[in-house]
Amino acid sequence: MDILSHVLLGAQILFTPTNLFFCFLGVLMGTLVGVLPGLGPTAAIALLLPNTFHVPPVTAIIMLAGIYYGAMYGGSTTSILVNIPGEAASVITCLDGYQMAQKGRAGPALGIAAFGSFIAGTISVLGLMLVAPPLAKFALAFRPPEYFSLMLMGIAILIYLASGSILKALMMAVFGLLLGTIGMDAISGTQRLTFGVLELADGIGLIPAIMGLFGVAEVISNVEAEIKRELITAKVKNLLPNRQDWKESFWPIIRGSLLGFFIGILPGPAPVISAFTSYAVEKKISKHPEKFGTGTIVGVAGPEAANNSATGGAFIPLFTLGIPANSVIAILLGAFMIHGIQPGPMLISKYPDLFWGTIMSMYLGNIMLLILNLPLIGLWVKVLKVPYPILFPLILLFCLVGVFSLNYSNIEVALMIGFGIFGYLARKFQFEMAPLVLAIVIGPMMENNLRLALTISQGDPAIFVQKPISAVFIVISILLLISPLLPWLGKRRKKLQEQVEGEEV
Amino acid sequence: MDKAKRYNRISAVFFLGVGIFFSLYARSVEIGTWNEPGPGFLPFWGGIVLAAMSMGLLLLTFWGRLPSITQPFFPQSDSWKRVLATFLALIAYNLMLSPLGFTLVTFLFVAFLVRFVFPQSWTRTLVVAVLSSLAARLLFVDFLETQLPRGFFGF
Repeated sequence: MDILSHVLLGAQILFTPTNLFFCFLGVLMGTLVGVLPGLGPTAAIALLLPNTFHVPPVTAIIMLAGIYYGAMYGGSTTSILVNIPGEAASVITCLDGYQMAQKGRAGPALGIAAFGSFIAGTISVLGLMLVAPPLAKFALAFRPPEYFSLMLMGIAILIYLASGSILKALMMAVFGLLLGTIGMDAISGTQRLTFGVLELADGIGLIPAIMGLFGVAEVISNVEAEIKRELITAKVKNLLPNRQDWKESFWPIIRGSLLGFFIGILPGPAPVISAFTSYAVEKKISKHPEKFGTGTIVGVAGPEAANNSATGGAFIPLFTLGIPANSVIAILLGAFMIHGIQPGPMLISKYPDLFWGTIMSMYLGNIMLLILNLPLIGLWVKVLKVPYPILFPLILLFCLVGVFSLNYSNIEVALMIGFGIFGYLARKFQFEMAPLVLAIVIGPMMENNLRLALTISQGDPAIFVQKPISAVFIVISILLLISPLLPWLGKRRKKLQEQVEGEEV
Repeated sequence: MDKAKRYNRISAVFFLGVGIFFSLYARSVEIGTWNEPGPGFLPFWGGIVLAAMSMGLLLLTFWGRLPSITQPFFPQSDSWKRVLATFLALIAYNLMLSPLGFTLVTFLFVAFLVRFVFPQSWTRTLVVAVLSSLAARLLFVDFLETQLPRGFFGF
């Protein structure tokens, strides 16, 4: 009964012309950036954030969330048609999707990707609806020590997943924490490392940092050499999968959805990991594992469902704890703060319209995506034909205008270019961006909680292990960080690493 | 010397410097104590930890095993030109935005990149640059009402 009234509340919020329009705009933009290689959901959300300042928070969140799950839909289109994943989460779709397209079955591949994503999206929204409120109640018991340890664990998971050296990933995380200390200290009001620059008083802007590290650095890496793309030129027809396709794909979709949802709750590049995991699971339990990689529909259905469902799961830590699981959610968190909404366990009870409105918009958004993606596939194929030499100046232009229009500051644009140079070089030197970004975002929160916890305990760091919940988080973090020394955990890490390489978290 | 070693030594020295810088700077604001951590607490200890880890990375390049790096720094011999040109264009855009105004500087930026990074014909360059600067102006200035600089030409 309770849920029903909440659902009605959500529907009431959603079914206003403005919110419907922004929901549509969000999924449309999401599909577009999903289709375009070299512009991910992170950069797209950062770009559009400044334009949401004049609308109510719930409208803004509805649109920004739409971009996130919309991008997962769009990403699969390029994987199937051109063998270039629009998003890292669709890398695995290339394996069987492109093979299907070459055999003239591009239609069913696109169709099952869209239907699978739709089913998965719905399941994950249901999960979010059922899991988030009780979890938020549980999180009410969290005090500064628990928060600090939880955030520590979040960073530890990302470091554990980092490809390459754990030491280098740790260095990135600490560097991010240090960058996060720039600006005014929230407790004493002291200016730190701002050198009198007004723009730095509030800390290093999240958006210039993300646009630099992901937008600019990504484009620069792409201009090194011309990308050759081979488009399947044949007309895409028969989008509806046949009865046999459905029979083969049904269970993979369900399994992928559940897998994606639970992986989505954990911090890290959930859409990517869950897509890879789903593929591995399907291959393992299949009666014909040799068919994988030759264009089997199961290899498209499972992973596509998983990466979509993971986006729903990723909202759980945001709504219940106010902690971002990845950089897309981190920008949404930034959006909450810009609109004056304090994220945390109180969010659902304090702003029920925001939570339920967003949930309902995700249902509707999934339906819109199905409509956008199936009949409009021809349009997306045309978008794909825009050559990169013409596309990349436009992507850069969007980054420049997006950052400049935040505060009309050339210094923030310079900061973005600086982060672009750093991100470009750091990738060459095999450093990971994910721990850095997460640390910049949650660094200030971690610092405050650390200092509050130490003040509560009168300087005794033992407080972090005396509280049981906090102790569990600390133990998990330590296990993850020393994993290279533990054979069984280390081996799992090796496997995961191969999967998430090059991901935009 | 193998490439991974050289890369890691360069990064170790860089982050060693960053770590030392932050801990030295933290001394100018109050570090505080464990009982009452001050604003300099995290920069100070974070800086020390980063410096220590950089030393660790440096030592690993002498005695440890680190993943090797095989691909060259630039995939093509002329990649550096495109990379440099793109960065310079970004910097120039930022510097010229206020004096020249949004529409004009956008035109120049797009034209430069389209013409010189992956050289396209002049016709194509001009068409793309004109269309994108006008579309950007319509979208950002007229539709979204972003306050972008107009420059001394007044547009």
